[in-house]
Amino acid sequence: MNCQQFQETLPYIIEHGGGGEDESHLQECESCASLVQDLRYIAEQAKLLLPMHDPNPRVWNNIEQSLHREGLLPEGRMPRLGHTQKNSTSQAQAKSWTPLGWALALTAVILFAVVLTNYKPTPLQQTPLTAQNSAADSAQFNSDDQQLISQLSQQSPEAQRAYEASLRDVNAYIADAEQAAKSDPSDASAQALLQNAYEQKEMVYQMATARSLP
Amino acid sequence: MNANTATRALLFAAASFGICLCAAHAANTRKEARIDIAPGGTVNIVNGGGSITLHSGAGHQLLATYTVHSAKVEVDQSTSANKQRVELLTHALPGEKPTADEAKVDYDVTVPTGVSVNVTSTSAPITADGINSDIGLSSETGQITVHNVARSHVNVRSMTAPVSLKDVTMSRVDIQSAGGAVQLANVNGQRVSVGTTSGNIDYQGDPSGGGNYILTTHSGAIDVTLPATASVDLSARSTTGKVENDFPLQQKPHTSFVPQQGRSFAGTSNSGSSSVELQSFSGKIRVKKQ
Repeated sequence: MNCQQFQETLPYIIEHGGGGEDESHLQECESCASLVQDLRYIAEQAKLLLPMHDPNPRVWNNIEQSLHREGLLPEGRMPRLGHTQKNSTSQAQAKSWTPLGWALALTAVILFAVVLTNYKPTPLQQTPLTAQNSAADSAQFNSDDQQLISQLSQQSPEAQRAYEASLRDVNAYIADAEQAAKSDPSDASAQALLQNAYEQKEMVYQMATARSLP
Repeated sequence: MNANTATRALLFAAASFGICLCAAHAANTRKEARIDIAPGGTVNIVNGGGSITLHSGAGHQLLATYTVHSAKVEVDQSTSANKQRVELLTHALPGEKPTADEAKVDYDVTVPTGVSVNVTSTSAPITADGINSDIGLSSETGQITVHNVARSHVNVRSMTAPVSLKDVTMSRVDIQSAGGAVQLANVNGQRVSVGTTSGNIDYQGDPSGGGNYILTTHSGAIDVTLPATASVDLSARSTTGKVENDFPLQQKPHTSFVPQQGRSFAGTSNSGSSSVELQSFSGKIRVKKQ
């Protein structure tokens, strides 16, 4: 799944949580993960604001009267029973919270709009082909890398830094080569790059484990 | 009274100076060992810092000279029962924690013809000159230099160490370097393979002769300079980097990929006896005429 496909299912993911493929993409793509995190936060905050969005009870009364006048509401029916039962508390809330509620709601809407307008999903063919992007994406070390770095830190901080830098570069290499190979599985050159990338990582690991003296 | 004090002071100074001299001598201990090794045997050297220099020699003895920079480290020598394997291992003495400087040992080893050499180092520069047997050299940061080698298998591994090979002929060469630059001058053989992550690769010479040359990098630059007489079947591809060619090549009727302007090209020169494949992900590739 690429970013474009992921974003097409974004509303469903926000509402229902998404499937295994979505989760897999979220783990790989920092950009989409960040977007989903922002949207989920906004959605959660918006839920908290819902009670404060309720219009003043007079609005409901006016609507009810209008409906009666138009003959659209049968006589004797009590609309929004739950709402009227809660009037005493919701009025109190409305008096003390409505201005703040509207301000927060407005802020949330503006924030949501800013996120949506500023977020520019990059086309698939651009993301995999930039070393810098992939370097940032693969800056996270896997558990084996972390264990290796931890062991090296016990030997010397210089070695730790040097191997961290090398592993970061090699992981970026692997990420780029993997994406190139996925883009065109029949491309022998991409496969050769991927093989070399893994050989580089193997070499870094072997050199790290062969260390002896400081 | 004054004369006595002055004499005592002089004696004390002289004694101190002598002790310092002795200490310095003890700290920089130079040792020499002649070790029997069977023809076709292997010598393994493990040394963190300092330096390692390898020469070729005659006879059936390995001549190892090493200078230890502190009393906190020592060199262990061991030989297998059949004399096929010799080990020279630098290690800290029990309970000692030498600094990087204190752990340094300088090796100068003369290797009999036909004896393979494996060297593992952390920061020590490694120089192999005239070794005509299989060589395996590995260093994290110490410069690796190989000169005047023929009919051998040269295997080099570097993390950030620069690697330089000059006049390595009719050999099989495998070099892996994560960040170190790799320079090859007059290097040829049945297979020459160089892979780097970010290290630049520079090849100057004539690869003609029927070999396979594969230079691969992620973000390093690849520079190849060939003489007009080079007989090569050459292809260059970069996924996102630029590719430039100033070497006259004849278009090939069929290629395994569709050449893309600025990203890839392929062609032959003369009879195209050797295959040269240049690949990068984002590094620039340049092929020039000598």
